[in-house]
Amino acid sequence: MAETQQMKKFKTPSKGTPKAKHPISIDHHIAPQTPQSATPSAINLRRSHRLTAAFPEHRPAISSFNTHQSAAKTRKIFENPPLVLPTEISITPASPPPVESRKKRKFHEKSAEKSKDSRNVKYKHAADRKVKKKVYYKKVVYDGGEFSAGHDVYVKRRSDASSDDEDPEVEECRVCFKPAGRRVLIECDDCLNGFHLKCLKPPLKAVPDGDWVCCYCVARKNGEVMEFPEPQAGKKRARTAREKLLSSDLWAARIESLWKEVDGTYWFRARWYIIPEETAVGRQPHNLRRELYRTNDFADVEMESIIRHCFVMSPREFANAADGGDDVFLCEYEYEVQWHSFKRIAEIDNNENDGERVVDNDADWNSCDEFDSGSDFDSEEEAAYEDKKRNRLSQLSSLRPVAANSRKGQIFGLQKIGAKKIPENLRSRKQTDLEKAKSTLLLATLPKSLPCRDREMIEITTFIKGAICDEQCLGRCLYVHGVPGTGKTMSVLAVMRNLKSEVDAGSIRPYCFVEINGLKLASPENIYSVIYEGLTGHRVGWKKALNLLNARFSDENKCRKDTRPCILLIDELDLLVTRNQAVLYNILDWPTRPNSKLIVIGIANTMDLPEKLLPRISSRMGIQRLCFGPYNFQQLQEIISSRLKGIDAFEKVAIEFASRKVAAVSGDARRALEICRRAAEFLQNRKVMAGMADVEAAIKEMFQAPHIQLAMAVSSFCANNGETFPGYDTLLKVGCKLGECRLLLCESGTRHKLQKLQLNYPNDDVTFALKDSKELPWLAKYI
Amino acid sequence: MGVENPAEVAKFIIRSRIADPLFVYSYFSQLPDSNYSKLKYIISSSVTEACNNSVLLLGPRGCGKTAVLELVLEDLLKEHPDMISVVKLNGLLHSDNNCALKEIARQVCMEHQLQFSKMASFDENSKFLLSILRECGLAHKTIVFVLEEFDLFTEGKQRLLYSLLDAMQSVSSQAVVVGVSCRLDADQLLEKRVRSRFSHRKLLFLSSPGEDFQRLAEHILLLPMDSRLPNDFRASFNEKLLNILAGEEFKGVVDQLCYSDSTVSHLLRFLFCAVCHMDLSSGSLSIQNFKSALPSIQRQPKQEALKDCSVLQLYLLVCMKRLEVKEVELCNFNSIMKEYKSIPDSFQTCDNFARNVCLRAFEHLLQRGLVSFQDNRGQGQSTEFRPVKLLISWHELQQGLQSFPSCPVLLHKLMAREG
Repeated sequence: MAETQQMKKFKTPSKGTPKAKHPISIDHHIAPQTPQSATPSAINLRRSHRLTAAFPEHRPAISSFNTHQSAAKTRKIFENPPLVLPTEISITPASPPPVESRKKRKFHEKSAEKSKDSRNVKYKHAADRKVKKKVYYKKVVYDGGEFSAGHDVYVKRRSDASSDDEDPEVEECRVCFKPAGRRVLIECDDCLNGFHLKCLKPPLKAVPDGDWVCCYCVARKNGEVMEFPEPQAGKKRARTAREKLLSSDLWAARIESLWKEVDGTYWFRARWYIIPEETAVGRQPHNLRRELYRTNDFADVEMESIIRHCFVMSPREFANAADGGDDVFLCEYEYEVQWHSFKRIAEIDNNENDGERVVDNDADWNSCDEFDSGSDFDSEEEAAYEDKKRNRLSQLSSLRPVAANSRKGQIFGLQKIGAKKIPENLRSRKQTDLEKAKSTLLLATLPKSLPCRDREMIEITTFIKGAICDEQCLGRCLYVHGVPGTGKTMSVLAVMRNLKSEVDAGSIRPYCFVEINGLKLASPENIYSVIYEGLTGHRVGWKKALNLLNARFSDENKCRKDTRPCILLIDELDLLVTRNQAVLYNILDWPTRPNSKLIVIGIANTMDLPEKLLPRISSRMGIQRLCFGPYNFQQLQEIISSRLKGIDAFEKVAIEFASRKVAAVSGDARRALEICRRAAEFLQNRKVMAGMADVEAAIKEMFQAPHIQLAMAVSSFCANNGETFPGYDTLLKVGCKLGECRLLLCESGTRHKLQKLQLNYPNDDVTFALKDSKELPWLAKYI
Repeated sequence: MGVENPAEVAKFIIRSRIADPLFVYSYFSQLPDSNYSKLKYIISSSVTEACNNSVLLLGPRGCGKTAVLELVLEDLLKEHPDMISVVKLNGLLHSDNNCALKEIARQVCMEHQLQFSKMASFDENSKFLLSILRECGLAHKTIVFVLEEFDLFTEGKQRLLYSLLDAMQSVSSQAVVVGVSCRLDADQLLEKRVRSRFSHRKLLFLSSPGEDFQRLAEHILLLPMDSRLPNDFRASFNEKLLNILAGEEFKGVVDQLCYSDSTVSHLLRFLFCAVCHMDLSSGSLSIQNFKSALPSIQRQPKQEALKDCSVLQLYLLVCMKRLEVKEVELCNFNSIMKEYKSIPDSFQTCDNFARNVCLRAFEHLLQRGLVSFQDNRGQGQSTEFRPVKLLISWHELQQGLQSFPSCPVLLHKLMAREG
């Protein structure tokens, strides 16, 4: 294995170019990756050996290269001798930033005028000034295609050049070898070949629903041999880019950023995709045919090696892309090349990161010119940033282990965590109704809509909008209260999400939003540093943060840079009450100052929190209040049935019963959902709809006090009628035991005879529990 | 090693089985509707379907809550290797939030081979917890938090429980919180906002009734097929044992045992005693072994303490008893001494010891725990003046006197006359 891996050491055509002196960022080995130098330190290889073995690496490559459109690029690779001096390696710190949204630049340029000659000349003197002249683009039009950061593309592999050259854009029918034309091609879900409906035997009238497997694959599965028809003599079957990719003759990559080098060549930073066969575990049985993994492996690649676009989608998009063409792929997991582990790609975080940032940067970017010094400055800054980042990573990877839990705000080593193998059961996509019901009833699942809280949400929206929209932005406070499980936090967050989309649409001013949970603070004073960090991103001690915040919100500070209003959401506000209530006072005092532009929304359970506080605080807070009453049974019913919409698992009566029961006790939506989920678990094995009985069983389980069950089992020792006397010490032991379970309240056992006992539950409960006890019928007489 | 006696080997096998909770509780894993299967279902549904659950295991001590949990976790780790990481906390050690979070971070770091710093603050650790939960959720890994002595975590603001349960409300996390407590009202101790986030699964561990015990005993005591014992020995041993276990006499013993305490650990202790009494020459367990094990399990420490008392100490105890009968509320050594001095007046006896001898005997009684001070106040005072209380009852004292071999008749008279 090791030898064959070492034979393969370059990933893309670009590796042969001078660009290869950019160290591959993650694993910090900076061996020049040139085609000829057989460095043994090949750590981050993308190929497993059985695939690499198929490529004869040392054949005279030039002869095998075709002279089609890619000729110029490929030749260049060999004209530039792979002389990469070690000194140069250290010189080039600049590589494009991984955050693509930082650069917003609308710039289109046709790349037709590029000539390889000029490029080669320029390379000589470009090495030292490269940092200064790099220009980043948001979008580049190249070879007739428009590429921008975030797009997915096919990338040529150097060694694949021999196989076929025509590079077909159109898929052909596997039987008649004609392109689709006006007729429909149907794709087999197993071999991914396309067929004309008519070419099939027997011919199909329409595209069937669900999965479809062609007759060839069916035959192969049954053990028969059924060959695909051979193309006519002299005509070679063209392989599509998709086929080449899946047989690892092409790469797929995601463009992280684009830039133009000083010599006019265009480069992009690629984040590789990998096909399941190339991972450490190989293809797993649950892998779909069109599945790819995103890696955390980056490389700088020249634009010329791009073939064309492909489309890598998340599972949800993939499910909707029924006829997206042949270049559609599915990507659900990220593959960690160093640790060979998988991790789901979190869809949420992408949205969170851009949002506000893009909004601020827009103004700056529009103002500066494409080629002026502004961009130079920025790329330098970027370079410095990148440098720092690389230092950090290198530190992490090899030299000095960094503690995972104690870096200010940053956590190291998380990339080590990952599944070595994706568990199979998670990928079986067919859920039964019951499982669907269970997963939608989970508390963690965020419902698509929030029923029954429309009025409150409108109120919150108007409050925030009213506060933001005035030019003055008068500071305001809103106090939200209600019992747990009534959707307070969820409603506020939903409002904030809506507002954010309005900000994105441009209809209201941008603002910044800081969310704090009082119970998650180490101490109430810590809230200052958390707020300050939320606003500025810097971490300071709470005393300093208090001073800074005081200065920020005080009125003399009119000319500060950040003029956006700030919305502060404090959950579990009652936890901030200290002895002299200074924290609450400070926080609620800032909004009242002119020009503070601070809006505070406090959430707590108790209705009368403002009244319990000092008058100077309650006068600042208690003006605007919003009450979230407990849900009544109709609302609970609506909540549950809105979650279960489209899933046929629960009887209507059962839902009503559960919601009535909960509404009678607490009106807590979480409790109602849990009861329904438990009921769904009860009938896991039976294939029927959840009925009343299941719900009742669930309710019984959740509400019944355990002491009654226990009392039935323990069955009393205190009175012993007609049975042998067990001895005082035994009795004492029993007493202590019951005391431990808190059936009895008792003093510690050393008091012995003097120990005082008291029943912890009402007498009626004991009577009830012992009523049915068959073993001790006489006991009932005593009660 | 010489030739091993098969009986000795059998004894060794059985004793090592009793000491191994995993073996003992594997009996419960075979039962269809046991707590084992319920708990396993809950945890495995979190592992495979990413349902976040929180469970409480409630029951008196010695019922095998932790043992069953360990068994479940071990089985699940076998079924889904590399997908579960377990974090164990104990309320006795980590009831402080800061310390608990640090311990969580430490254990997670150990699990994933990350570098751990003990200097990290509460904030950093809680951020670390959140991000690790997220990362593990994305990697389809479940973190199982085991909180032993759950009731002790409910002291104070319950920040730890809140942040754990709140973190479980997000989509990307995949975790189970298992609380183990012997307080049956443990869920009532939760604050309302914590309780609302708790998913209210309760598993009640009850002590097993008598019939169950017989099967459990068979499970433990019957010698296995694959041991290195000779076959005929094993067969005869098992046959005799089955006869005993089915017999009425054995049932009587078990009833007597379960009468006071029917938890599994109690039964195990009883079996261990019985096996230790096994006669090596006969090579099998007899009903006599079980019978003799019973009194050694159910001991009466106070009465046994009486047996070792000297006559003078008994005199003092009887005097205290008499004072109690006379409804003297408070007594100290001086008043007891006065009572003691009055005895020779009414009965002609020569047993009359000096005051300091009596004081010495009295101090012995204090040390034995038969007598105790009324309260903890006045520790500077000398022993003679502090009020004391008798810790044994009239019945026990009388029984003790009767069983005492050389008890003077006078003492019985003293007891009877006023009592």
